[in-house]
Amino acid sequence: MKPLILHGHERSITQIKYNREGDLLFSSSKDNKPNVWYSLNGERLGTFNGHQGVVWCIDIDWTTTKFLSGGGDNTLKIWDCETGKTIGTIYTNSSVRACNFSYSGNMAAFANDKALRQQCEIHIIDVRNVDESISQATPILKIPVSDSRVTSLLWGALDETLLTGHENGEIIQWDLQTGKKLNSTKEHDYIINDMQMSKDATMFITASKDHTAKLFDSDNLMLLKTYKTERPVNSAAISPIMEHVVLGGGQDAMDVTTTSTKIGKFDSRFFHLVFEEEFGRVKGHFGPIHSVAFHPDGKGYSSGGEDGYVRVHNFDQSYFEYGFDY
Amino acid sequence: MPTNDEIKSSWADEVELEGGALPPPTEVRENDFKILTEYKCGKDNKKTKIVRTYKIEKRIVSKSIALRKTWTKFGESVDDKPGPNPATTICGEDVYMQYITSKEEEYKVEEDGLEKLKGMGDKTVVKCRTCNGEHWTSKCPWKDTALASAKTADGEKKPGAPPAQLPAEVGKPATTSKYLPPNMRGDAASKRLDNTSMAGARRDDSMAVRVSNLSDSTTDADLEELVKPFGPINKLYLAKEKGTGSCKGFAYIHFKFRNDAAKAIATLHKHGYDHLILSVDWSKPQAHSNP
Repeated sequence: MKPLILHGHERSITQIKYNREGDLLFSSSKDNKPNVWYSLNGERLGTFNGHQGVVWCIDIDWTTTKFLSGGGDNTLKIWDCETGKTIGTIYTNSSVRACNFSYSGNMAAFANDKALRQQCEIHIIDVRNVDESISQATPILKIPVSDSRVTSLLWGALDETLLTGHENGEIIQWDLQTGKKLNSTKEHDYIINDMQMSKDATMFITASKDHTAKLFDSDNLMLLKTYKTERPVNSAAISPIMEHVVLGGGQDAMDVTTTSTKIGKFDSRFFHLVFEEEFGRVKGHFGPIHSVAFHPDGKGYSSGGEDGYVRVHNFDQSYFEYGFDY
Repeated sequence: MPTNDEIKSSWADEVELEGGALPPPTEVRENDFKILTEYKCGKDNKKTKIVRTYKIEKRIVSKSIALRKTWTKFGESVDDKPGPNPATTICGEDVYMQYITSKEEEYKVEEDGLEKLKGMGDKTVVKCRTCNGEHWTSKCPWKDTALASAKTADGEKKPGAPPAQLPAEVGKPATTSKYLPPNMRGDAASKRLDNTSMAGARRDDSMAVRVSNLSDSTTDADLEELVKPFGPINKLYLAKEKGTGSCKGFAYIHFKFRNDAAKAIATLHKHGYDHLILSVDWSKPQAHSNP
């Protein structure tokens, strides 16, 4: 396969996401401009200019009309996808680490970091009619998180619950009616870097610094599968059409200079969903991979790395013909 | 999903080509191809022509996607022309997914080498030179006893010895590939020190034998097996290609006793070894013959 290399960022990629149909690919990086690309030919549609610092998290709503981005400049911005203009800005007291639109697109959730005199909090906001006034609007719900900060976030079924991954490896399910903890599990030992839902949202995969990615039931948080590697896992995604997961990771960026690329293991690694066994690798990045995403049609995937590039891959025929021996 | 709608747009796949001619940038449309030609002046005043060929494809997509395709560019991309901007979109080199078969199988391959050889014909393909058993010499159960014990390991412990390359070496203890300074080495090496003074061993070519016409695949271990029966050895040197570690075809053996060396020459000269006929003689004293 010939990957398209998207070079629109000056610093390392923090997150990439496809929209629902997969025709657009959104990317954010530690520079201050999230980008949007046509995933088919790698043409850049535009950049969202307005943030003052690192952009940690992005999300796109179901209809690809609104785009959400949260960053280290203590803001969460809601953008118009078509024009790239800011519709609303929410100012927080610490950097925004995770954000997501709800399935319905009526609400959005975001979590900010623990900082000096600022507790980690999850905010649920109404995003049906966004304008400048949203910065003054009170959130629907504010959940203070006392112990470990939230590092990733997903909406549960029917927008009734929220799943959060924490710095200490814990996963908590919140009831949004009451704002109370519903369920929690601690299967990871270190920070959960990323969580992604399967296509039907019955399962989600977590990527953790403890060198594993794990598959959970999104209803009762039951641990289903564990994918082991030798390096921190920064991101993991589940294929929408095959029983495959892709893991991106590699050494910590701070350790990269002291090791060669060969042993850095900066490949995208494909595991069988059920058998937990690695069956394929794709090389390409010069540093750890920070975010991976499957194209919603399952015929390609993208990865964004510390090197600042997003690589868009379309699978060869051999990938679809590959039979896993068991 | 909304109804399907046909639209024509600049879906393009970029292919880079090289060519040669003159100035202003041109854009030619031929059938389904758009050919962009640009000229650039490099640092050393070298003119370069860049020809980019884009394939224009028609795709039938849902209305919402078609609509999004018509959106105007914004932000940093506001000045970009239709189609991918080569500054931000690069067509990468081909990469392939490396398929990994299950790990057990990976290890099996090496083990199977012997089984395969056996299966190929009669069962005497592999024959141990020490006990004539059906295994590699290095895997002989008698390897570390009898013959081997006192005289061993000079070749093996040589700091420059490469890690195992031939299946014959697989069975060796892992420690052999690791460098150990001479004073830390096991008994074999220290014994050597006791028996002969280093100074004497270094310059004394009188007991050195040169073996030539060795095959490429000869290893230190093979050589050792070959000459061990004749008597105690002070030093073994097998000339190896630097990059590949394969044998250069000759070796020097320093025996402890001259009559052992003479015996070795008498026996091994014109001896068939690994489909080659060895030539063995006294090492000729040259200015820097001793490696």
